[in-house]
This record gives sequence, C-alpha cells and structure tokens, in this order.
Amino acid sequence: MAISAYLTALDDEQLVALLRRRPDLATPSPVTLASLAVRATSRSSLERALASVDAAVLQAIEAVVALAPEGPPSRERVVTAVAGTGTSSDTGTGTGYGTTSGAGTSPTPDAAGADAAADPGQDAAVVARALDAAIGLALVWPDDDGLHAAPGLAEILGPYPAGLAPAGEHDEPGADAPTLPDDLPADSRAVLDALTWGPPVGLVPPPGSPAVPAVARLLDTGLLVRGGPRQVVLPRAVALALRQGRTHRAVAHPPAAAWPVRRPEAVAAESAGAAERAVRLVVRLVAAWGEQPPSALRSGGLGVRDLRWLAHVLDVDEEEAAFVVELAGAAALVADDGEERPSFAPTEDADAWLRRDLPGRWAHLAAAWLESERTPWLVGTRDERGSAHGALEPDLHRRWVPRVRGAVLDVLAAAPAGAAPALDDVLAVLRWRTPRNVPPAGAVTALLREAALLGVTGAGALAPAGRALLPATPAGPAGRTTAVSTAAPTGAGPAPTAAASTGAGRVLAAAALAASLPEPVDEVLLQGDLTGIVPGRPSERLAALLDRTAVVESRGGALTVRFTPESIRAALDAGATADELLADLTAVARGGVPQPLQYLVRDTGRRHGVLRAGVALSYLRTDDAALLAGLPDDPRLTGLGLRLLAPTVLVAAVPPGELVAALREHGLAPVLEGSDGLVVHAPTTTRRTRPRPRRDERPPDETARLTALVERLRRAESEHLGTARPGPAEPAGGTVAGGSQPAATLADDAQRTGRGAARPVGGALAAGVTDAVGAGRAAGATRPGGGVRAAGAATAGRHAGPATPTTADGTADPAAALLLLREAAAERGLVRVDVVGPRGVLERRLLRPVSVDGGRLRAVDPAREAELVVAVHRIAGVARVSREEARD
Amino acid sequence: MTDGPLIVQSDKTLLLEVDHPAAEEARRAIAPFAELERAPEHIHTYRLTPLGLWNARAAGHDAEQVVDTLLAYSRYPVPHALLVDVAETMGRYGRLQLLSDPAHGLVLHALDRAVLAEVLRSKRTAGLFGARIDETDVLVHPSERGHLKQVLVKLGWPAEDLAGYVDGEKHPIELAQDGWHLRPYQQQAIDGFFHGGSGVVVLPCGAGKTLVGAGAMARSSTTTLILVTNTVSARQWRDELLRRTSLTAEEIGEYSGSRKEIRPVTIATYQVLTVKRKGEYPHLELLDARDWGLIVYDEVHLLPAPVFRMTADLQARRRLGLTATLVREDGREDEVFSLIGPKRFDAPWKDIESQGYIAPAVCTEVRLTLPEHDRMSYAMADPDERYRLAATAAGKHTVVDRIVKQHPGEPTLVIGQYLDQLHALAEHLDAPLITGETTERERERLYAAFREGSVPTLVVSKVANFSIDLPEASVAVQVSGSFGSRQEEAQRLGRIMRPKGDGRTAHFYAIVARDTVDQDFAAHRQRFLAEQGYAYTIVDEEDLDGVA
Repeated sequence: MAISAYLTALDDEQLVALLRRRPDLATPSPVTLASLAVRATSRSSLERALASVDAAVLQAIEAVVALAPEGPPSRERVVTAVAGTGTSSDTGTGTGYGTTSGAGTSPTPDAAGADAAADPGQDAAVVARALDAAIGLALVWPDDDGLHAAPGLAEILGPYPAGLAPAGEHDEPGADAPTLPDDLPADSRAVLDALTWGPPVGLVPPPGSPAVPAVARLLDTGLLVRGGPRQVVLPRAVALALRQGRTHRAVAHPPAAAWPVRRPEAVAAESAGAAERAVRLVVRLVAAWGEQPPSALRSGGLGVRDLRWLAHVLDVDEEEAAFVVELAGAAALVADDGEERPSFAPTEDADAWLRRDLPGRWAHLAAAWLESERTPWLVGTRDERGSAHGALEPDLHRRWVPRVRGAVLDVLAAAPAGAAPALDDVLAVLRWRTPRNVPPAGAVTALLREAALLGVTGAGALAPAGRALLPATPAGPAGRTTAVSTAAPTGAGPAPTAAASTGAGRVLAAAALAASLPEPVDEVLLQGDLTGIVPGRPSERLAALLDRTAVVESRGGALTVRFTPESIRAALDAGATADELLADLTAVARGGVPQPLQYLVRDTGRRHGVLRAGVALSYLRTDDAALLAGLPDDPRLTGLGLRLLAPTVLVAAVPPGELVAALREHGLAPVLEGSDGLVVHAPTTTRRTRPRPRRDERPPDETARLTALVERLRRAESEHLGTARPGPAEPAGGTVAGGSQPAATLADDAQRTGRGAARPVGGALAAGVTDAVGAGRAAGATRPGGGVRAAGAATAGRHAGPATPTTADGTADPAAALLLLREAAAERGLVRVDVVGPRGVLERRLLRPVSVDGGRLRAVDPAREAELVVAVHRIAGVARVSREEARD
Repeated sequence: MTDGPLIVQSDKTLLLEVDHPAAEEARRAIAPFAELERAPEHIHTYRLTPLGLWNARAAGHDAEQVVDTLLAYSRYPVPHALLVDVAETMGRYGRLQLLSDPAHGLVLHALDRAVLAEVLRSKRTAGLFGARIDETDVLVHPSERGHLKQVLVKLGWPAEDLAGYVDGEKHPIELAQDGWHLRPYQQQAIDGFFHGGSGVVVLPCGAGKTLVGAGAMARSSTTTLILVTNTVSARQWRDELLRRTSLTAEEIGEYSGSRKEIRPVTIATYQVLTVKRKGEYPHLELLDARDWGLIVYDEVHLLPAPVFRMTADLQARRRLGLTATLVREDGREDEVFSLIGPKRFDAPWKDIESQGYIAPAVCTEVRLTLPEHDRMSYAMADPDERYRLAATAAGKHTVVDRIVKQHPGEPTLVIGQYLDQLHALAEHLDAPLITGETTERERERLYAAFREGSVPTLVVSKVANFSIDLPEASVAVQVSGSFGSRQEEAQRLGRIMRPKGDGRTAHFYAIVARDTVDQDFAAHRQRFLAEQGYAYTIVDEEDLDGVA
C-alpha cells in the first residue's frame, strides 16, 4: 500500500488533524487527495514538518528509516530499538563488547536525560508516543506489515540514519546476523567502537600507523568493508550486532529543569519596575522626537549620532536605546513622516497612547512587541556591504522572529512559576524542541534581554503580566509540562498572535501589570538639604510635579529628587509662578516645605523675569525724556509700533530710515547714528547713469565755432613747427596714439563734476591730467563736451609730461608722428625713429618707412637691408632725416 | 515584603525612614555593612560600597547575613541583581591574606591562585612585592603594607590583614575619671575602634574626640604618638591629657618647630614631619624613635598627602584617626580609609544632640543685598576678585551689629577670612581681634577674659578653625570663609556646640551677599551640615529682627 492509499483511507477527522498539523499542505488548497499525497511527500513539505518535531519524535522517525532495509519494522521493534528492552544486559550505551565512548549521530541525549532513562517503562511509553506523533504528521505511516517512512524522508535524513551504513548484502530480510568473533584483539575492538554509533565511515590509516594491522584484520574477517579508495565502512549488520539491535543509545528526554526559583513578589516587583521604566523611556522618546525629529538616513534608518544622542537623553546605553526606538516603532508611536526629507516623528496614535494610564500603555507596547518581526539586536552590526544597520531601518525584520519569541516564552511558561532558567538552559530546551530548526543563539539572548527590559519577565522568570500576554493554547499550560510528543505539533504552530492582539488579551495583561504595581504614594518628604523622597512609587500627578521642579537622583522602590536653582528655574520657565509652585509642593509634602526650599523657590522667582529680551527693528534714544514721552501714544505714529523701554529709550517696529523720515515729518529733528555712536548722514542714494551723447544739442552759432576751430588749428600748427615741446607723457605700456584721448576725457570729467581727481592714474599721466585740466579750462572752460578733444589734445600736448627725446624737426606727438611717417613713406625718405623695445628701453633706429596702416609701420632698415614691422604705439618719436645725415 | 523602615534602591542606596518604629533596630542591623551618607530630618541615606561590605566581612559578617538583613527590613522587594552583586562583592574578600610568616616576614597568601596571578600581573602592584615563595605565597615589603592594601582594594581583591599588630612598648596610662565619666557614645567609639584594630572615629565638633583618643590610649596602655595640625593644638592636647589621665608632664613630649622632645607620649605636628631639607625628610626618624603602640591622627581629614605615604610604615601599629567631618574637597576620603582604617564609629550629629551631649544649634544664613555701587564694582570685577569683593562688602558690618545686639551678653565669636575686614569689624564692634599674629600670651589673656565674660565678643581669623580649645561661645557670626569648604563650615559650627549650662540653643549665623559667588559658595559649604540635619534658615537682612 502506498502512502496515498493510506491517506485516502484516513477518516475526515484524522485528515483535518493532519492538515492542522501541517498547514502548508492546506494552503494553497490541494485539488485531490492524490495531489495532497504528492505535496505531503515533497521535499520542502517534509523538511518543514521535520523542522517542527522534537528530539524524541526525530529519534522514532530515524529508527523507522534505519530499520527499513530489514523490512518495515513493527512498533515494538522500533520501541525496543530506541528505548531498549530494559534488561540489565542492555545498558543502551554499550556494544557487544562493552561500553564505548564513541560519538553518535542522533541528537546526543542530554546527560541528565541519560540518567532519566533509568526507567525503561517510561522510555518505552515515550517512544510509543513519539511514534504516534510521527504517524500523526504522516511522516511515518502504518501498514499491515509494519511502519513505513514517508517516501523521500530517507534522503532528507542523510546517508547514515541513526549512524548506520546503508543496507548491504547482509541486510536482506531474513539474512543471518553476522557473528562477532570472540577473540578480537583490543586495537581492532577500539576501531569497531569508534565506528559503532556512527558515522560508520572511517579513513584508512596511513601506512606505518599502528592502526594498520587492526584495520586489516577487520577487513579480513569481513567486519569492515572497503567503502572507497581511502575509506572503510562498518557494515550495517555488523553495527546493529555491535549495538545489540539498538538504533539509539538512549531516548532523548527534554533537559531536566533544575532551575533556580525566585520568590513571586520579587518577580512581580521587578517586572513592574521594568514595565514602568520601559513606559517612561518611550514617553521620553516621544517627547524628545516631538520637539526635535531626527532625520532619517537614505537607507531609511536612524543615524548613529541620533541614536547616541537619544541614548544620552534617555540615560541608557545604545543597545537599550535601539530597543526603545524599535519598540515605539512596532507600537506605531513613532514613524517616518514621509516628507521630502524624511524624519522620524511621533504619530497621532502617540497622543491617544499618552492619555492612557500606565498599565494600558504598557499592554499596548507589550502586545506590539509580542507580534513584532523587528530585530533590534542587529542595530549597529554591519551588513554585507559594510554599512551599519540603523534603528527603524526597513531591512531589520525577519519573519521567524515572532515564532522564536513564542518558543522562548513557551519555555518560560512551561516551567514552574518563578523558575528562572539561564540562557544555556533555554537554548538546550529549544534545541530539544526542534532539533532540526534551532533558533540562533544571538536572537534568543536578545529576546530574553528584551523580555526583561519590557517587564515581561522579572528576575529571569516569567512575570504574571507576561504570562497574561501569552495565549492559552489548546494543549493548555498543563499539557506543556508533560514532555515530548504533545509539544511537537504545537511547537511549530502559528505565532502567538491569538490572545495578545485581541482587546481582551490586552486588558488582561494590563490588569496583571496593575496587580503587580505597588500602591502609588501621593506624598513626598521634603528635607532641609533640598532633597525630597517619595517612599514608594509616586502617583502620576506627583511624578509629574517632581519631574517639572526637581532633578531625579535615584529610582527604585522609592524616588529621591533634589531641588536646585536650575530645576526651579526650569519650572518657572515653563510658566509656573513661585506661589503656584509652593502651593503645589505644600499640598503634597508630608511635614510641610522646609524653609530653605521655600526661600529657594521665592528667591528664584524673584530673579526670574528680571531680565527681558525682545525684538526691535530700530531704536530712538535721547537725553531729554520729555521728547519721547508722548510719542508712543501719538495717533499719527501708530504705524511705527513705538514702545517706550525706558524714559530715554524707545523702540520701533520699522527700520531706522523709515523711523527717521516719519519723525521728521512729525516735526522732530532726529539723526541716525551708527554702531559706533557717531552720526551718519543718510546716504542720499542719488543715482547716476552713463551719459548719452547729446546729439541734438548744438552750439548757438555754427559759424563762430568753425572760425574759432580754424584759428586753433593754425595756432597749433605753428607751435608744432616751432620750439621743441614735450609731447604728452606716455603712460606705461599704454597707447601713445590714444594717449591724449584719455587725458582729454579725464579733463572733461574733472571739469564737469567739479570734484578732485577721483580716478587714480599713472603718475605721469596724472600730471598730464592736471595740466590738461588747467589747459582745458584755459582753452574753453564752459564749453560743453564733444569737440574739445582736439583742442585739448593740442594744449595737453603743449603743457603736459616730462621731456621726451626729439630731434629738431622730430616730434613725439603721435598724430604728427604718423603724418611724418606717411610722408616719408610716400617720398621714400629716411626717418629716425625712437622705438621702445620689449624691455622698455628706447632704441633709435634709422628706417625707411614703406607703409603705415593698421597701427603698424612697415619699414626697411637700410643698414641691414631687412624689412621690419614696428607697432605704432611703440614709437616714441619720429624725425625726418636727410640723406646726408643718414650717411654719417 | 514587609512594611519595613528600609527602602533598597537599585543604585545601592538604602533609605531609612527615621520615624518608623523599627528604624532604630534597622539602623543597628545595617550599620556593620552600610555607610551613613546623609542624615537630614526624615530619611537617612546609607550606601552599600565595596569597601563597606569588605569591612563587614573583616568584622565577621557574611553575605547571607547581609542579604537576610536587607530582606528583613526592606519595605519593597529588593532588586534581585543587587543581592547577587552583594554576594559577589563580599565573595571577593579573603581570597588574599596578609600573613606574618615567622620565617619570611610579611607574606601575601592566596587562597585562589588565579586571583594571585591577576594581582601580580597588574601594573599597580609593581614594586610592592618581594620574591615569590611558592605558588600561593609571595613576599611583601613590610613598608608597603598599607600601600599594598590600598592597591588591592582598588583592584577589587581586598586582602584580609591577619598579620597582626605590633604591640609596641608598654606604658601604663589610665583615665582619671574623677568627677567625670566617659559618655556612652565615647565608650562605644573606643570599643568600636579597638574591636576593629585600626580605623577612624567620626564625631561632631564639641563631642569630645580628645577624650576618645585618651580613652584609646588608656585601653592600649602603650607608648603613643599623637599627630596634630599645629602647635596650639599640641598644647591643648597636652593640657587635656594632663587633666584627664594619669600621665604626668614628664611623660608627655612635644615635637614641633620649637621643641624636639621624644617621650613615651609624644605629640608632633604634621608640618614637622613633612619638612624637607636637601631632598630628605629629617624628622622621619621620629617614627622609628620608639616602639609606638598607638598612633593617633588628630583632624585626620586634614592629613596632608605626603604624610599618607610616610606614615604608611606605621601600618603594623594601631592607628586611630579622629575627625568631625570626613569630607575633603579633593575627594580623597577613601585614601584615609584605606591607609588608616575604615570608619569604626560614626553617629549622626542630631543623635548626639538629642542625647544632650552637644548643644542644640540653629543655623541661619542672613542675605544682604549689595548697594548699587558695590553691585556695579562686583559686576565689573575680575573673576578672581569677586569673592573677596562680595565677602568683604561693607554692608556686612551693620548686619553683624544687629546680630550681636540680638544676643546681649552671650559670648560671641565673629569669624572671617580677610584680615582687613576683620580689623575693620573689630574696630566697629570695639572688640579685640585674634589672628595668627597675636602672641600666645595675648591670646591666652583674651581667652581667659572671654571665658569669664569680661570680653563678650571676640573677632577671630582662621585660627578659629583649628584650635581645640578656643573658648566656647554660644553665638558665632561668620562673615567670610575659604570659598566652598564644607569642613571649615562644620568646624566653625563646632565652636559653639559644647553644651551650655542652661541648655540654651547655640546660634550660628553666616552673612552672605545676595546674587554673588558668596551665595554660591555658601550653598556648597552648608551642604554637609544640611545633610547632618542642620538646615540653614535663610533670612533677608531686612527681616533679621524676626529671628530670635
């Protein structure tokens, strides 16, 4: 019969039970029973089912698989194979040759478990129950001829189920069991011992090793066979003979719980204290982030610096701060605000949460924690790329967290009340519960720590409030304490969301916490050294008052605070008055408020608010108070926002310029002063634009102008041919040709604006300018702009600049020079030219100009018969030279 | 969970509610292992420290007793982690022992080899050990006994000192209790000291610490070296010993700047020991001059740092430290404990007051507002100058006047820091002035006149801090002090705490300029006394007449 037939033969109730135990078979719904069978024997489904069984069930399954080569084993066979027969010769740890020390592949029974196996009847019952569980999961199915393992299970369990080699020739059903010779020497026996309980494969010893003869002997006698080029295998039949038919040394019992037990009051009190603290930290987090929401990183998490700052504000270490942040996040009290530049801020739910009482707030947090998939313990660790994980990062969640958390809490819940297992104990139990799916130790450690921080556990044991959070399972708490198989099906069950998420569940948890909390105390003992002590847990009202007005020094069963000038001042800053504070304190103080504290409050109140700060855009001050007296009330000046700060000082809400203007209109005569106290004249920002040439302006009399012009030209001509006169000074590196122009323009400007020479110019040119000014004025002072230039040039040329080298009929005047050069070029005459070299040194050259244009003089050097080009602006002076002179 | 008088906080403080019926019982139960930190009016604060727990172990208490005590008297469940910590801390005591081996001398014996290995490896113990004898024993230089104990405490592995005390040279001393008796608390202090072997006795000023010293000397009946702060104290001790014990003048010697007498009972000043010439301490020989059986450190809170090191040699002898205020502004109280010994007796001042052995005292702070002109000078002054300006404000003169007038006929001391202020005050009040420069003869004369009442008011400088027998006054007015020194404040209060014949209350006034550093320092100075239950009533100058 195949497994599909078996499944089909199950009745409805059994099938439903199977589907409940292996939920993956039901979703998505299979179409036919055949497809159900297929799915049930698929590797992934089998693995999932195996991951949920405990160690004893696993043993039973392994036994079925291991015994399969002999034919489907009967129940009794499996039971004896795992648990032994209980006879004295069958110690369960021995081989045919006595006790061994070899290792086993089956989950190593706990040493305590081995001791507990002393009761063979109980062991057999355990195995029987385990078998039933395995059958219930359809991992093993019964047939007329025995028990079968589900197809595919053998592959998953590996090549050596229960440490036995695969079936060989001796393993056929009905084959004779191999005989073990009695006279085997010790070294061979040692080799056999090593391989008996598995793995059954060993390496051939290297030549020369003392084990060589032993192995050889065994190979000869057939007790070992070759498994590969360098391997030997202990045949299955031999192993079974050595084990005397056992597949496992002992039944895997759950680790015996000899855990320390705490007093219930201690557990309740510590859990209540932790719960209060956790709520307080979350409240403070919400307040801190309400005021200063930290920005989120690009990865979506909280930055390290923000976390560190938060740890400082909360006065906890960074690990705990990360937990508080994640807790608040899981409870939907803070979230990413989804803005363009995201930051974390409290949500609207936070306000509703804050309005609840302490037990209600805690229940909300605890319920959120119970279902949360977040992994706060990974905050600060690095991912594959090397960047650190930040709190509230989207990546920091794992789907298995609620299940592991449930398993851990299960372990605590199953223990007797007040039992406080150590971490290793919890891990051992978890390992027994799901040996093929052990939760990571790091996660278990972190979850236990979180449970303690939250107050779900107290002093290491599950607290009443924590217990109220957990759902009651179908098996019930009583069911848990019986070991093994009943635990198996539920161990992999759905995460414990059932009770906690319901409103009823939370109410229960809140009530349990409220019962654990000590009675609140509503009075404080105030002492002369400015300390105050609440001999117990302060009521909410009292706690708020003390938080506002004092610094907390010590927490615990009692609360001690100290009043300092700073703490009182902070209370006054928040808006209270000294009298109100004293009234509040008197109301709660047993024995009144000591005089030093009264005095401190009043004294701080006296000094509070004595200094005042405010905003003003401008001020008005005077030595004559009468001037200011009526101004603030004057209806005509209301728009200025005037306020009298002192008899001689008034401030306004408008800028100084406006204030002064308004007051001037009012008939007063204010002046502006700068920050140094000196009077500043308001810069009348008179604007200027560039002058446009005035085309439409014409001199009154055209003729007169032209006549005057001709006269000037004549005069200039005669002077030009007369005494040598210095040309205009050459501005360093500037153009000679254009040199006069700037001078003339400057002269114009100077004339017009009437200012002193404002623009800095090179020394010589400046001299030229001043002379030009003088010349310009002399020439025609009131002449409007425009045509002055030529005249200016001439006069400038006459008066300006230091001496420049010239010859008798030479000139340094640029215009004249050009003329000379052109004439010489036309006549093919010679000229003596003063050229300024590249280094500024004057060179005198004899040249025959060829042409002048474009700012360049093309000339021939007769001496060298070379043509050269000289830039006109480098020519300092030109003089005609007769041929006779040139020949000298 | 009982309705007990004690609340155990997770930061290891114990809060004892004084008004609770079981408070006294609880106090006695926790005294062996908890240190009294504060004792204001309603709740006394004790603290569990490693040193305190180890002393409890040394005295024979074990962790279980401590835990039981805590659980028995605690009002709320005791935090589990604290109980674990107590057990663990106490378990660290005694793994190392200091033994006196007849063959090798001073030896450190380890009951736990791993601990010894850790200790030997530590840098801090370099140079303190001699040769390694075997796996569990190592030689210790005898001169480093005290230092080693101190270092071991810091490392967290305190050694049980079983090396015993050198008895010292016998010398009969007896208390001459003719017409007077030791008070119960003094006897308790002596007993506590002897039981512990070495240690510090803390008693409020005026409670008779000298007698405790004398009593310890009588109990020990050996040669004794007494270390005091100055020659005036030395003389006072001498007088007191002559009066109260069987000692004669020849048996008591003074070793100070002016005299160098070494006698069976020698009184030396700290200063003379710390004098250094050409890089050497010439007077250290005093410590080896005789086989001292007992060494008394007077005003041990003033123990100068060099003397710590020097007199560590004396570790083999019984050492008694006496003080009223074991607070140091440099925070080195722990060094005193580890070099002299732990506190063997401590009593809240108010307790001794309620027993009638010290006068009830009322402390008042009178705040005066600086006049406008002075406020301006203060605001513009350099920070270094500010205290002086505030403390020597001229307005204080009138306040002193008014206070003195409120207590006509009562012996009054006016105490200050700055000599020009004191000169001006003395003139203003027409009262004599005593400073460090006053000759001894003049001082004695004035003291006598003050005692008999012909001089009702004395203006005194810092000498008031130290003299044992500055005559008793019932009113003290402090105009200025050395900045924020808490123990100076307490010492000055002590000047007026000797019980008066008619049981009247003593008055202590501190005049403080408002809104200045004077006020800030005053707050700090008063803190110790406030924690002892002597809270200051703060009064404005204008309201002074209402205070009686």
